[in-house]
Amino acid sequence: MTTEAGPEFSLPEDIGDLPAVKHWLEAQARHWNRSQEDADRRRKLDTLRSFCVIQQIDPDALVRSLFRPTPEGPRIKLKRRRIVMEQIAEFEAKAREETQDVRRARDTGNVVRSFLIHNGVAMSAPVVR
Amino acid sequence: MEFKQVVGLRRSIRYYVPYRPVERAKVQTVLEAARLCSQAINQPWARAIVVYRDEMPEADREALKVPTTTAQLDMAPVWIFWYGDPSAPQTAQKSLKQLVDIGALNPSHGWSHSYVDDVIWPQVLQPIAGDQATLLAVTAVEAGLAICQALLTAVDEGLGTQITAFNSAKAKEILKPADHLIPLWVQLLGYAAEDREGGGVRPRAPFEELYFEGQYGHPFERDDAVVDKLKKEGMIMPEAPYKWRRDEVLALARQFGLPE
Repeated sequence: MTTEAGPEFSLPEDIGDLPAVKHWLEAQARHWNRSQEDADRRRKLDTLRSFCVIQQIDPDALVRSLFRPTPEGPRIKLKRRRIVMEQIAEFEAKAREETQDVRRARDTGNVVRSFLIHNGVAMSAPVVR
Repeated sequence: MEFKQVVGLRRSIRYYVPYRPVERAKVQTVLEAARLCSQAINQPWARAIVVYRDEMPEADREALKVPTTTAQLDMAPVWIFWYGDPSAPQTAQKSLKQLVDIGALNPSHGWSHSYVDDVIWPQVLQPIAGDQATLLAVTAVEAGLAICQALLTAVDEGLGTQITAFNSAKAKEILKPADHLIPLWVQLLGYAAEDREGGGVRPRAPFEELYFEGQYGHPFERDDAVVDKLKKEGMIMPEAPYKWRRDEVLALARQFGLPE
């Protein structure tokens, strides 16, 4: 069972069946025309899960939190988007501290960015020069 | 480079070599080309502010981004902010008479100083200047001509280039353009990190749906012999996507640490 932020927050061990996560994995594989290897899929799901645990929000709620409904359809919340971008940057910085590896840390942040991008939220990362 | 090849090779480049600067002479060449564009009433409708990415504080760089303009801003070392100047008609009376004096506008076509003073200025230009919608449309079109020449010249100079959106409110604070200028686009300049063909020519609407002969709705029929000639001359190039494009983009994303 998934719940939104709160004291009883919990996530299933395998978040791969949650609608937004499923959509991400399928869309990403379709876009790049590549099937996901199990290990890579596991790594991505574990990374996204870690981020969601830190933020106390499940993946579906994370995506929902970035849109507001309007009579013309959903609209992106730009301020919320900026906040989430900062959260991802912090998540990546923590990974950098732990691994002392810029590239690995970037991959960590990019997993969350990719999840959001394929769910319709434009994300960017500073270029690694 | 041959002109037709320049037209054929122009793409919106979104991956630049971030560490390779653009020579100042090339930036100037791009601006020189913009200055020479066709311009109504022979007035400059475009203004440009050149910014060097590495001379700008990180906070300003970030503030200028919008969701559709992200990594390419980090990668391109030179940014040209283009603005339209709707005040251009204000001095048109003088510039048109100048065109009469140098033999560009001639009596053979009905032009004289009196025609400018008594007819064109009060009956044509002043009404246009007072009609915001028309003025904005003319400003955008005329500035667009300058930007187009700047784009093509960048290609001719061997650069990658693109025009894209920017946060105009933040740009107002940071770049301090004159109050009356209209923000249009930011043109990026840099050396392309992706193949200059950008994975092929982007999809275009069919020729016959765009261009007509005699009357709207009567298609201008495309002559295949002309198309073949233009293919040989490099103006019409193969359409996207090239077979290897996804692999190229994936490799670039990984090289620069961008999301997939």
